[in-house]
Amino acid sequence: MIPQNFEYSAPANLQEALGLIADGSCKVLAGGMSLIPLMKLRLAAPEHVVDISRIPGMSYIRKEEGAIHIGALTTHYEVETSPLLAAECPLLAETAACIGDVQVRNMGTIGGSIAHADPAADYPAALFALEAKVRLASATGDRTVPMDEFLVDTMTTAVEPGELVLEVIVPAEASGTGSAYKKLAQPASGFALVGIAARLMKAGGKVSMARLGVTGVASMAYRAANVEKLLEGTAGTAEDIRKAAAVVTEGVDVNGDLHASAEYRAHMARIYAAQALTSAMARTS
Amino acid sequence: MMDLLAAELKMDPAELRLKNFVGEGEFPYQTATGLSYDSGNYAAPLKKALELVDYAAVRAEQTKARKAGRLLGIGMSTYGEICAFGPSPATPAGGWESATVKIEPSGKVTVMTGASPHGQGEETTFAQLAADELGVGLDDVIVLHGDTAIVQYGIGTFGSRGTAIGGTALYFALQDLKAKAKKFGALLLESDDVTFAGGVCTDNKTGKTVTLAQIAGASYRAMKLPPQTEPGMVSTHFWEPPNFTFPFGAHIVVTEVDRDTGQVAIKRYVAVDDCGNIINPMLVDGQVHGGVVQGLGQALWEQAVYDENGQLITGELMDYAVPKAGMIPWIESSHTVTPSPVNPMGVKGVGEAGTIGCSPAVVNSVVDALSPVGVRHIDMPLTPEKLWRLIEAGGQA
Repeated sequence: MIPQNFEYSAPANLQEALGLIADGSCKVLAGGMSLIPLMKLRLAAPEHVVDISRIPGMSYIRKEEGAIHIGALTTHYEVETSPLLAAECPLLAETAACIGDVQVRNMGTIGGSIAHADPAADYPAALFALEAKVRLASATGDRTVPMDEFLVDTMTTAVEPGELVLEVIVPAEASGTGSAYKKLAQPASGFALVGIAARLMKAGGKVSMARLGVTGVASMAYRAANVEKLLEGTAGTAEDIRKAAAVVTEGVDVNGDLHASAEYRAHMARIYAAQALTSAMARTS
Repeated sequence: MMDLLAAELKMDPAELRLKNFVGEGEFPYQTATGLSYDSGNYAAPLKKALELVDYAAVRAEQTKARKAGRLLGIGMSTYGEICAFGPSPATPAGGWESATVKIEPSGKVTVMTGASPHGQGEETTFAQLAADELGVGLDDVIVLHGDTAIVQYGIGTFGSRGTAIGGTALYFALQDLKAKAKKFGALLLESDDVTFAGGVCTDNKTGKTVTLAQIAGASYRAMKLPPQTEPGMVSTHFWEPPNFTFPFGAHIVVTEVDRDTGQVAIKRYVAVDDCGNIINPMLVDGQVHGGVVQGLGQALWEQAVYDENGQLITGELMDYAVPKAGMIPWIESSHTVTPSPVNPMGVKGVGEAGTIGCSPAVVNSVVDALSPVGVRHIDMPLTPEKLWRLIEAGGQA
């Protein structure tokens, strides 16, 4: 319950933070909702923690050139309640509302959550469906990586030593886009046993665009391109949705644990994929 | 067990229970195992619960739901429990409690109890008892407990005994002081015909009164003392219970199981508990709510799971699912009142009632929901995956 001793720094600005983490030996602390429990259980024992939570200017939600930029220190609560996101990217707000509990949503940050890359975290499902990008910063410069390159494996991301997450970039949705996030929560932790984010557009009575992000099911969140392909070009009927949702775990090594066997999880992924697609379809116009 | 029997006999589970209860006129009821059930009217809470849930209507709704392929279940549990532990020979740590009551020279009252509450609210219940008996305001009473430098040795709050044992010790200490206050009152009023009630002592002949504060003040100044009476207004009473108490009740739960996911939704939760006389209805309902929540945890979520190496893998709250407020249905809590003859207040105890009534009622309800697919028994907890597998296997998993 008590972490190992560690050195603690609270840099006042981004440059100072990037300097401190440049040699790659530090662990970055933002909201502390994932790192602190791991340290208390001594599953993580960093020697040096760099607390970026007091750095000004890293918490924002703003629209720039047709995309919405969300600063790494933006809390889940801020994402959940943002009028801009509610109007132009409701999928992300709906997903944020499903994270943990009120305390976690008030403390936890979008940058911290995705950098931690828990395979049962909620955000990645939505970020896959949104084809989001993540901007990373280091002492030597910035770079932007798409979501499917950002997640590498369980709790492993493309963030290199010396880098930190600067912001997440999601599209400002075209009108008529329908989206939904459906989650089966583990009863103790609230993490997703299955979390499905669906995003659809219709044109001329057919599904013109389908995106499906899946979390909780495998060793890392993923985008179910096979579901998307099956659905695109159809009329999006209940039967079309059922058929498409049926392949959501095809080719995926599904997790099994004490809360849900692989068989049950795969079954629930199909059920929740159909539910998410049905809700998203109802929200298209 | 009762539901399996009802199914075998093709009887309604409520009817089977009503037919087999110990009758209201058979109390005190001597059991084959040597216990004497103090008082009971077992049909009363079940009848009330059936009425509250509108049993005929929910059974009709169930018939309709089943035709539509929905898995709607109605389950009940009727329970009797043993509380107010208990006679000392049957309670290894000792079964008594004691209370000390001091009426201060100001007329304010201090109660000290060894039956220390840890959330059950006896600070309030005991203050109510003292206020009612002495005729003072609730705010005039302080209840001290838990600090061994102040409070005498006691056994404690468990086995639904706080009020039934600790409260009874307090009741008798209060009677001592009422008698003493009456003696001092008679002395002050110079009368041999007085009544002590409502916080004042009244001369029945002249109607003159003295207040409890005047009486207490006089008892400490001790200018004059009644015959064979010591100064001061302090009493300690130890109470050894002659028997346990035996509360009872009936819980009825309506559930629906999602055929696709195995998830249980609780549509109605009706709890009718008989804990004898009730001193504080809000605290009693709080106890029932807490118990039901714990019972739901056991029925639906909580489990200790070990891996193949014997390692506990539900060792922390990230994996061991305790109920949270958002997971709890509306609890319709009600009561019947069958006083206990074991103590003068007629109370029985209510700490565990909710827990005892809840888990079997939930399981019976879910088994009833799944009976169309051939399910007759399920081990707790009723996890969605377990139920889904039973549905998939037609009850044979």
